[in-house]
Amino acid sequence: MTRTAPPSTPSPGPDGPRQVSRFEYNLLRLLRFFLGHHPSDQGIQLARAAITRPACLSPAAVDLAKDTLAKGCVLFLTRAGGWRNDHYLRGRSPADGRVWDRSALDERTLVFSAPVMEFLLWATSEKIHESKILWDAPPQDLTPADELFFWLAFDACRADPDLSGVLRRLATFRNNALCWLASPGDIAGADNTPPPDFRSTFSGTRAVMLECLQNHLAARWLRSERAKGQIGDWKRMNQLGRAEYATLRAFLEAADRANRTDLARFVLKTNATLFQTDLTPVFWTGGLQGSGPPRLADRLETQRAALAVPRQMELLADWQDRARSIGYFDEDYQASQMWKQDWEAVGGDLVAARARAAVEMVEPLRTPARQPESDGGPGV
Amino acid sequence: MSRAYRITVKESDTRHLKAGDEIGTCLEILEILPPEDMATLLKNELRNRGFAEQDDGTMTRRDGDVTVIVDPCSGEVTVKAEAQETVSQEARRDATGFNDVGPNENNLRDRVRDQLKHDLDKKFEQEQTRLQTKATEELEKHLQEIQPEISQIVNQVTRDALKQKAQQMGTVTEITEDAESGSLTIRVEV
Repeated sequence: MTRTAPPSTPSPGPDGPRQVSRFEYNLLRLLRFFLGHHPSDQGIQLARAAITRPACLSPAAVDLAKDTLAKGCVLFLTRAGGWRNDHYLRGRSPADGRVWDRSALDERTLVFSAPVMEFLLWATSEKIHESKILWDAPPQDLTPADELFFWLAFDACRADPDLSGVLRRLATFRNNALCWLASPGDIAGADNTPPPDFRSTFSGTRAVMLECLQNHLAARWLRSERAKGQIGDWKRMNQLGRAEYATLRAFLEAADRANRTDLARFVLKTNATLFQTDLTPVFWTGGLQGSGPPRLADRLETQRAALAVPRQMELLADWQDRARSIGYFDEDYQASQMWKQDWEAVGGDLVAARARAAVEMVEPLRTPARQPESDGGPGV
Repeated sequence: MSRAYRITVKESDTRHLKAGDEIGTCLEILEILPPEDMATLLKNELRNRGFAEQDDGTMTRRDGDVTVIVDPCSGEVTVKAEAQETVSQEARRDATGFNDVGPNENNLRDRVRDQLKHDLDKKFEQEQTRLQTKATEELEKHLQEIQPEISQIVNQVTRDALKQKAQQMGTVTEITEDAESGSLTIRVEV
């Protein structure tokens, strides 16, 4: 196991670069690729190549792997948003500052366990996409830091469908909440695998990591939403949208149950950035080719699925309504005040109204009851 | 000496084909009165428009091949179109064989029969697609027709609910309705 804090004492070594074997060199390069510090094309080549595995690694290689892992993951989280002076809930009250100011040391200590090293050994020695010996680790044995690493590894391999196709089938990745939150369409695959239980995501180190990732996740979801207009295949859109909807809904419900609505900020931010102006469903479905499935029910399902992100605004608006009703002497007053601040900062009411309008445009029988002037309905 | 012969095999089949399509959505009913009262108002309005109450509490109306089902409690609307037809198809194939080379007559006949079954399946698949298109087109057409009616139902329910609410608040002194603009003014003496 390696710990990022307190920093380990550097092992004494020669003044020049450390000597490692060819296998160890590949393993370290692969590790750097997973952490985003090595060119993607070279990393994918390494993952697709095989090399004979030695009986054990040299102390120098182990030290270097530990160092890379510890620094790489911390650097990623810091860059992703840990450096921001932000506020998140601690208990039922907001805590301000950068992640290291507002979190206790034990909450932000990344502890890596054996499966990380085993995976690296397997990925280096086998052609991942052709390997007959599939490596896997029980998801319950993984530490939060392991999950972070495996998510980064999956994310790095996403560019190669062969690699991601193999990794997706492993329980280590399939049950990784971060993989689902960052790229639900890729991890769910065509078989519509249900998302994992997000309950554990809202406490301890996992929650601190999610705080760091809020802006990163918002940027990813925004990119994904903007790219939907380029999807031409109805089946692909349906599969992606269903995975997104299932993931976000499961995540938001779990966040609500855990009283950590602040960790759903990225969903609100994504919608707020999308709905700076009124949008029609064409924004999402404009790229779909042909007339689609013969059944209207299937076409409608795909169109609804495409709007998975705006559809979440309904739930967030319910949170806002609830927050408004919480009084000064209520237990959740401070948490609700924080949610209201977040909501008002992005103009939540307007965003929710625009999202709702976009969602309703897809519905064939939805009556415009709140625009009575246009259809002769009663003014309410 | 090799002698050629020709076999003609004919197969026919009759199948009952069914196709269906449906869409479901939820009515936007404002919560002016408690949900059960809103459900009662919706039920009454639907009854006035020819919907019949079913054992499970839903209101159903059949318009030709299209069935409209409304659940007054949840406001869920389902519009279903169904098409079914009994279709007969026939296929025929010729095959040439030789008495001294290749498969014998029985084998040849079996092989042609298998091909014919495949041909028939294809023909029935085409028929199924045609029937499916018919059901979907019927549904699309009906949706356009039913959309204004659904709007009218919701508006009527909202009007009735507002009137009831006003009565609960005090004595209604005046109700003015303008059908053209859709405005409804209720004066209440509290």
